[in-house]
Amino acid sequence: MQLVQWLSPAFPVGGFAYSHGLEWAIAQGGLAGAEAIGDWIGDVIGQGSGRVDACLLAASLRPGADHAALAGLARALAAARERAVETEDQGRAFTDLTNTLTGTAHPPAPLPVAVGRAVAALGLPAEQVVALYLQTFAGNLVQVAVRFAPLGQTEGQRMLAGLQPLILRVAAEAVADPDAIGSAAFGADMAAMAHEVMEVRIYKT
Amino acid sequence: MLDHPSFAPMQRVQGRAAVALVPGAGRPRIGGLAQSGSAKVFLPAVHSAVPEVVFLNTAGGLTGGDRFTCRVDLGAGLRAVATTQTAERGYASAGGQAEVAVTLSLGAGAELHWLPQETILFQGASLARRTRADLTPGARLVLAEMVVLGRAAMGETLESAAFSDRREVWSSGRPVWVDPLVLGARALAPRPALLAGARAFATLALIGPGAEDAAGALRAALPDTVTGAVSGWDGKCLARLTAPDALPLKRAVATLLSILRQGAPLPRVWQI
Repeated sequence: MQLVQWLSPAFPVGGFAYSHGLEWAIAQGGLAGAEAIGDWIGDVIGQGSGRVDACLLAASLRPGADHAALAGLARALAAARERAVETEDQGRAFTDLTNTLTGTAHPPAPLPVAVGRAVAALGLPAEQVVALYLQTFAGNLVQVAVRFAPLGQTEGQRMLAGLQPLILRVAAEAVADPDAIGSAAFGADMAAMAHEVMEVRIYKT
Repeated sequence: MLDHPSFAPMQRVQGRAAVALVPGAGRPRIGGLAQSGSAKVFLPAVHSAVPEVVFLNTAGGLTGGDRFTCRVDLGAGLRAVATTQTAERGYASAGGQAEVAVTLSLGAGAELHWLPQETILFQGASLARRTRADLTPGARLVLAEMVVLGRAAMGETLESAAFSDRREVWSSGRPVWVDPLVLGARALAPRPALLAGARAFATLALIGPGAEDAAGALRAALPDTVTGAVSGWDGKCLARLTAPDALPLKRAVATLLSILRQGAPLPRVWQI
């Protein structure tokens, strides 16, 4: 229950405010239609920052994890300024909330490390935690598409459902080998970089 | 010895080369140099106070099981450029992966420009490269890495390759930038979040105090012959470029390097 609450879009870490570069990609006109947007989100999760976050989260869930070192690694892995802002701001909000709710006093950390550090105490299956994290991550991006593309709500939910097998696979791979951090999402990285100088924008990233 | 070692299926090439530069009279001098196997390192005469270190793999390419290591140690306050004599070729692997390790160490206030020529991946290549730079506070690193997927002139489209290319920059024992590219068959699909069908791509980085200030000038100089983007924050300036082929990519990288390096000429061995 606690995990679902913490990873729910209603948990106020502000995930709705970040598009992860998707706003720029849609504005450029390069992503026409639900299929192209679904592929983009799938690639970010399967081969980009989603997978990187999944590995960081899986590493943070391991018993005896060095969360200070993982926080440093997570900061160094940010592929663009706005990626750093996004993971740092949400991680800080998540840490403040969970510190208050559970009486801990953790320092701020990037989001996947903050989540792993707080959730580790719950003793839940790691794959389930990582999958739910990725589901929330994907859900935020789908909402960007619903609000900005625009995409119908039903189409958005269908897209999210379609991403489930990928989410489960990435979660399993990240838990099996959290150190195998890698990304091939060059285009998504460039979109995140380009977004930082976008003049008219709705999203923070 | 075999008469034709390159035809032996499991022949493994090993190469190690390292150079240390220390303060000299007016310009850095070699404080230590080691080379073994297929690796060579030399410093051609240049008409500049900034020495050029050139690494060479005499095996002419890398295939499964090969190990190639190079290292530069740059003393405090010194400046140097390091590069490779030719493009590195990752050939099809008959088994195992080729491994390349690059280690760069910069003393306080040192400035190193690590500008290897491009890496060309052939169909079926299996190559793992790790580049690690350790910076002492005040040091600056300029880095450019270019990768070309297959040979356009031969009509090749790369469909299968396993390439991992991990860059790590550390300062005072903490990671500053970690860039773990992992490119497998799935990542070669021509999709916009990935390489979008580009045949050549590059990553440029400037790491050091105030590096983020370079972002604006780089962005303004991005040629329209490539797709590119720039980001700057927190002592880092990063640029990524993709292009239909190697030549426009190299020209764009040269343009951006000229800005990052205040107009310093490219290493003389660069073929462009």
